[in-house]
Amino acid sequence: MLEDVDLEVKSGQFASLVGPSGSGKTSVLRAVTQLQPMLAGEVELDVDRKDVGILFQEDALLPWRTARQNVALGLRIHGATPEDADEAADRWLSLLGLDGFGDRYPLQLSGGQRKRVAIAQVLALEPKLLLMDEPFASLDAIVRARITEELLGWVERENLTVLLVTHDLEEAISLSDVVYVLSQGPRAGVRARHEVDIDRPRHVRQSRHHPLFMTLVQRLWDDLDNENAPPPQADPTSVATESGP
Amino acid sequence: MRPAWLGVRTARRVGALVFLLAGWEGLSRLGFVDPFYAPPPSTVASAMFSLFADGSVWTHLEATFLAAFLGLAGGLVLGIVLGFAAALSPFVADVLEPVMILLNAIPRVILAPLFVIWLGIDLASKVALALILVTVLIFFAVYSGIKEVDPRLVERVRTLGGGRSVLVREVYVPSVTAWVMGNLKIAVGFAFTGAVVGEFVASSRGLGYLLQFAQSTYNAALTIALILLIMVFVLVLFALAERLERRLLRWRHG
Repeated sequence: MLEDVDLEVKSGQFASLVGPSGSGKTSVLRAVTQLQPMLAGEVELDVDRKDVGILFQEDALLPWRTARQNVALGLRIHGATPEDADEAADRWLSLLGLDGFGDRYPLQLSGGQRKRVAIAQVLALEPKLLLMDEPFASLDAIVRARITEELLGWVERENLTVLLVTHDLEEAISLSDVVYVLSQGPRAGVRARHEVDIDRPRHVRQSRHHPLFMTLVQRLWDDLDNENAPPPQADPTSVATESGP
Repeated sequence: MRPAWLGVRTARRVGALVFLLAGWEGLSRLGFVDPFYAPPPSTVASAMFSLFADGSVWTHLEATFLAAFLGLAGGLVLGIVLGFAAALSPFVADVLEPVMILLNAIPRVILAPLFVIWLGIDLASKVALALILVTVLIFFAVYSGIKEVDPRLVERVRTLGGGRSVLVREVYVPSVTAWVMGNLKIAVGFAFTGAVVGEFVASSRGLGYLLQFAQSTYNAALTIALILLIMVFVLVLFALAERLERRLLRWRHG
């Protein structure tokens, strides 16, 4: 059960939602995409549903379709002719460094390559809002750093609005303009909001050396560490019964 | 690199087979084994040869193949249609599932006598038996194939904006194809089982009829020759099914 989730992502803003596993990060994202119904509350989208791109942790590429067909699928659903869709798919694959991999099936690609295909599939639809749920969690650190860097470059160039869900605090800070901290259940909710005043365009690795970076990491940790302490406005006795790992 | 079939393992297997056949032939000729029960390989070979020599075997082969093929084709179509219907309509599922579970649980060849009574001793009863064997197998392959479609794929297609028809084309049909292809070899075996057992029960043509004849005349050499013949043909069909499977499921081979 998730309560008191109040977050706002302005146009062109990169927002992150961080929190421990089980805090309901994914539920928030799924509610935004309307994949999951909500008991109460509302989601306001200023963009059209078709302008929302979604990247999940697991790359759900169709295993029986080639990389090109997977990328072209979204375009064809949105009305492109097969030829145009294939051509655009090849262009996007090559933009993501997958030149010549168009005829490969997902099982013939590495994890990183599959992730790139999934990114191409989403970016090819030219979304205005990008929702990501730990999109790179399954990748090794080196591939992950590279893909993150490339994606950030794309987001900054195209001025995309992003909502990223992650449990990696440093990733959240190095990428975002604003970081929301989600506390853990049973009555989870947004606990804090931090702005990240690091200049753009950013370089992910260099922004970790920014003077603000460690301070922010420390603040996020404080938020998470204190999450079982009674929030100032709540009744301390009722909170004590709910505390626990 | 030398091809895999030239390896040590193949040499051992062929060697063992040759040793077995030579031993069998030798023991039989020396009088240690009664050729009435265990005819030596040379007698089996000559029985096989005479089957083809007078050309009479062809009508029997044709009968069995036709029955197996019609049963296989009909069973595939019926199994796919019923499987889709049950997966998409709860009403159809409620009605069909108990019947299919029952048919799946019993050895379906026990229906052979009934089909002979209903459809006579000609082709139709053999096709019916092969068909019911294949239909039940394919029904469950399709039914569970659709029910166990990866929900992440469904979600992915939805988030890309795809509706029902896109889902069927891009997710359900390929997913079901994979399940059906995975069962194709078993289906080929079932179709042959149905055809041959049907002929064995009552018929005037077919390999099953020849088998029945060989058994009733205590002709062990002919019986073994016919068993070998059926094995060879099923293996050939298996190879064809495998090629089809590799072609349609090439995305599986990384």
